[in-house]
Amino acid sequence: MIKQLMKNKMAILSFGIIALISILGIFAPVFAPNDPYESNIIKKFAAFSYEYPLGTDHLGRCILSRMIYGIRPTLFLSLLTMLGTIGLGAIMGLLAGYFRGIVDEIIMRIVDVMLSFPSQIMILAVVALLGVDIRNVIIANIFIKWAWYARMIRTSVLKYRDKNFILFSRSIGSSESFILIKHMLPCIGSEMAILATLDIGWAILNISTLSFLGLGVQAPVSEWGAMLNEAKNVMTTNPYQMLVPGIAVVILVASFNLLGDCIRDALDPKEAN
Amino acid sequence: MKNYIIKRCLIAIPLLMCISFFCFVFINLIPSDPAEVALRVRQTPIITEEAISQIRVELGLNDPFLIRYARWLGDCLRFDFGVSYVNPARTVLGEIGRCLPATIQLAGFSLIFVIILSLPIGFFCAIYKDSLFDRIVRSVVFMTTAMPAYWIGLLLMWLISIKLDLLPTSGNGTIKHLILPAFTISLTYISTYIRLIRNNILDNMKEDYVLYEKARGLKERTILINHVLKNSLHTCIVAIGMSIPQLIAGTIVVENVFAWPGVGKLCIAAIFNRDYPIIQAYVLMIGTLFVVFNLIFDIIQYITDPRLRRDVN
Repeated sequence: MIKQLMKNKMAILSFGIIALISILGIFAPVFAPNDPYESNIIKKFAAFSYEYPLGTDHLGRCILSRMIYGIRPTLFLSLLTMLGTIGLGAIMGLLAGYFRGIVDEIIMRIVDVMLSFPSQIMILAVVALLGVDIRNVIIANIFIKWAWYARMIRTSVLKYRDKNFILFSRSIGSSESFILIKHMLPCIGSEMAILATLDIGWAILNISTLSFLGLGVQAPVSEWGAMLNEAKNVMTTNPYQMLVPGIAVVILVASFNLLGDCIRDALDPKEAN
Repeated sequence: MKNYIIKRCLIAIPLLMCISFFCFVFINLIPSDPAEVALRVRQTPIITEEAISQIRVELGLNDPFLIRYARWLGDCLRFDFGVSYVNPARTVLGEIGRCLPATIQLAGFSLIFVIILSLPIGFFCAIYKDSLFDRIVRSVVFMTTAMPAYWIGLLLMWLISIKLDLLPTSGNGTIKHLILPAFTISLTYISTYIRLIRNNILDNMKEDYVLYEKARGLKERTILINHVLKNSLHTCIVAIGMSIPQLIAGTIVVENVFAWPGVGKLCIAAIFNRDYPIIQAYVLMIGTLFVVFNLIFDIIQYITDPRLRRDVN
């Protein structure tokens, strides 16, 4: 699969962009030219300069530094969201698919109900209930999205459940948890990885939208959606301030979408046509 | 057919019950004590333990959970959602009723945009597959799926309202105020439906009946318009119809960008003010709309598509 991916220029390009952005985010203090929280009212709305490569915002903070520090919440919180979603979905899907019977019935009925709810509204409801905070946004996202993964993972577990190697393992007396962890998990691991890449774009958009509305990351922490919210207020005088975070979101989300598509094509060439 | 409709309606009832139950649990999980809130709403000057226990009996808060749920459900069916915590002079129904027309107007206008833009563009993309037009549309569609809706709104606002000064930036009133927010909302759906319609028409073009009609010597145009388009329209109309509640729910972000006085803006304000009855009523309303619209369009699809009817029977 990786060999096939290497042949695809799009996959390499999008992976490169994601890797570059991640490195910038991890080593933010090294790359950022200024302190992202240091405000300097005298220098507000400064134009592009050597000191402030992308100018400054309404409090005189360096926009480039804020962008680089903003990678951390934007990218890493969406990764965290996906990990949580996949984790919970995998546990539920494994239990439902492997044990069948009453466990399966209960979990799948819950999943059905969860899937029939409108997701955006549910996220708002959960955030409203728990209070406005980024941690609650992530909990809400996980709470809403796990059902979808549980269903997908259950389907793939059913595919492997009656394969000979599992039956063999059971007949020589392996414990159920051993079979689940040592045999089942590696089998569905690759599928889980694809599902995750396809949806990171969704998580990024979601978190930045909620931050834009003021429900997610709170000031003064820099996050791309929250930066756009600040830029909105000075749109008439400093329109370029809203271009940078917006373009960054588009590039990052587009890269994840492209990479997801490429991985899917590499795994399943039939789908591609 | 009658059986199918009855069965479908019966399935919807437990779903509605689940949604209402969720909303009821929601208001029971909030950190503030409903008895205390009720006292504040009545503007009792001093809140004592005695007054709280008295009002608990009065409101029936000591009753078992399920009895309270049944009573609450009865109130909801009579459209009595209580009063706003922040401004007790206003009922929740009144607040939502005040804001709902603006949201419906906005969602309706977006729906018109979705239909008049995505149908023809999707159709031409399918006919002229892999042409320059198709490739441009496909890349635009790809880009819009990666763009946050609020950013598109801001860009449009800046370009059209501030730079070109063609349309007002925010507020509502005239049709001019509607165009930008409605277009912003519809953009996401337009890209989804262009893809859906394009793929649907391409699938239909591979069907045997098209080959047969070609063999019969019908004109390409007649086949495309009278047969292929007619067959694909079907799925698309149902898909678009089912997305109407999503359009209504999706107005939240755009209403906040364009300061549109609809229920989405009301809901966000309620979240910040911890005005739980309004959030509860909003969630209940959107949830019910989802179930009802799914039900209606499922039945419409069943009635209009003879193939489906045969399968079910």
